[in-house]
Amino acid sequence: MSKTCSLFATNVNLKIGQHQILSDICLNVGAGKVMGVLGPNGAGKTSLLKMLSGQLASHHSVSWNNKTLTDYDPMSLAKQIAVVNQLNESVFALDLYQIVRMGLLPHKSLLSRQTPEDDKSISDAISRVGLDNKIQQSFNSLSGGEQQRGLIARALVQKAALIVLDEPVNHLDIYYQHQVLKLLRSLAHKLNITVVMSLHDLNLAANYCDHLCLLDAGKMVAQGPPEHVLTSQRLEQVFKIPCQIRHDTNNAAFRVDFYPPDELEIDLPQSIEKPRI
Amino acid sequence: MNKKWMLLCVLVFVSPIGALFFGAADLSNGQLIHCITQGCQDPVNNMIFWEIRAPRVFVGFLVGAGLAVAGATLQNITRNGLADPYLFGVVSGAGLGASIATLLFDSKLAEQIGLMQMLPDLSFSLALPFAAFLGALFSVFLVQILVSKTFGSKTEHMLLAGIAVSFMLSALSHFLLFLGEPFAANKVIFWLMGSLARVETWYAWVMLPVVVVSVAILLLYGRHMDALLLGDENAKTLGVQVTRLRILSLAICAALTACIVSYCGGIGFVGLMIPHIVRSWLGVTSRIVTIGCVLLGGCFMVWVDVLARVALPNQEIPIGIITSAIGSVFFLIVMSQRRS
Repeated sequence: MSKTCSLFATNVNLKIGQHQILSDICLNVGAGKVMGVLGPNGAGKTSLLKMLSGQLASHHSVSWNNKTLTDYDPMSLAKQIAVVNQLNESVFALDLYQIVRMGLLPHKSLLSRQTPEDDKSISDAISRVGLDNKIQQSFNSLSGGEQQRGLIARALVQKAALIVLDEPVNHLDIYYQHQVLKLLRSLAHKLNITVVMSLHDLNLAANYCDHLCLLDAGKMVAQGPPEHVLTSQRLEQVFKIPCQIRHDTNNAAFRVDFYPPDELEIDLPQSIEKPRI
Repeated sequence: MNKKWMLLCVLVFVSPIGALFFGAADLSNGQLIHCITQGCQDPVNNMIFWEIRAPRVFVGFLVGAGLAVAGATLQNITRNGLADPYLFGVVSGAGLGASIATLLFDSKLAEQIGLMQMLPDLSFSLALPFAAFLGALFSVFLVQILVSKTFGSKTEHMLLAGIAVSFMLSALSHFLLFLGEPFAANKVIFWLMGSLARVETWYAWVMLPVVVVSVAILLLYGRHMDALLLGDENAKTLGVQVTRLRILSLAICAALTACIVSYCGGIGFVGLMIPHIVRSWLGVTSRIVTIGCVLLGGCFMVWVDVLARVALPNQEIPIGIITSAIGSVFFLIVMSQRRS
């Protein structure tokens, strides 16, 4: 794989207090690829994304475009890497246009004005995510899926070559989950943007990502193409739930089926009392 | 330009001119118009107009503009609509600095050593705002220390730290007043209630550059301030150096507040009320809010000062009393409207 515009991580470690969050993570994602980061709760997915996007100091262990993230100044880094975090509600009622326009920030000096080309890039980005009719609507009033697409539009205006997303389909219904992932896959494959995201749904990850990383307790369990990473034995070991992998013969889709454990209930400790009615 | 901005521009043009027609001295409208257009014929009228009324209106405009901008900026960086220079302890800090300066200059000790005779005429006038500025910076510094060492870095923690510092410094000011000379204490108490009665022309020349430079810096950093509205993490991912921007903003608020509070005393609610009106009327992005606060805050204070001068015959109501009364009613109305 060419090193140009690739994301490299070598021996990424993160320790907070006595707790080792990430241990010796190594990975490599090429330009225009979609990488999914998988793992159970507390595996270190969000921490890894923060290290890969420069939000947490990586001490020269992560590089993008052949340059370690620590060598970028904040504005140059923002021109290269866009981050779509799970958004806090805006306290003051910003509209969608104003949120998307923020993507211009890394490209503007303090004195420069917004040009007609900037206006066009904002409206193009909003069109690309299919939100033309919501442009003046308050961002807080948009649905979860629309907000997520709005933030992706902001990343497009940011003209970043790498987009890092923390659980982009969290809280979305099944329709919007597919809409958002289709959009991200199109951006990667048609505009050569590298997409790195954490996901909980293994089936979505298997079908929309080119490359997967499976984490457990801060360690890399496996990485590679979905069919290589997602094996029933490995998933059972990481998620501690029996599962089966199958290929749908109709559309060649990859399926991971988890089965409920044998015992559906657990013994409650004596200290938990019945509610008094 | 849309209708709202045009209306605001008309208000900015009309308010200072209109306010010149109100005052204790009995000047006819004809004399005032003559003073404005061709200069005053009578030297007494000339002094009343150019050395009392005009500077007072001008300073009133700057005070309103500065306080409103300081409030809007604090609300922006804390992402909390309740933040203002009072809540953040900046006014208490400035008040403590000004109290110490006033009590020091008016103390028996200063009299015994002949402090006032030793210093040039303007030294007290300059020492007062400087002491207030140091007090305001001290409060900002204290809030930052509490946030980083004890409270935690979330914006709500910052507000809690601000409230704690505000009460602590107010208590210290009051204790000093309790211990100080009664005459000096009276001066400070009148000052704490806020007034433009002591305004002189040179106040304007001190305030003008502070307000203009502060507003210019805030306008330059408008996009960065907007990014802060989505939270620190989001702003960082857009390349904003959040800590540096927050310190710069706090220093601007301290300078604006100290400069105003040291000359005109504690004028509450302007920094809280005007940004709310501007946001609901004109928009929420930082540059719009800053410009809107300058224009509307300035006009508001000009008319509040007129009210302070004319409400009671032969005496002035401290301006802080009027702004607090209007502000509290305003917030009750806003809350009842939101509920309904």
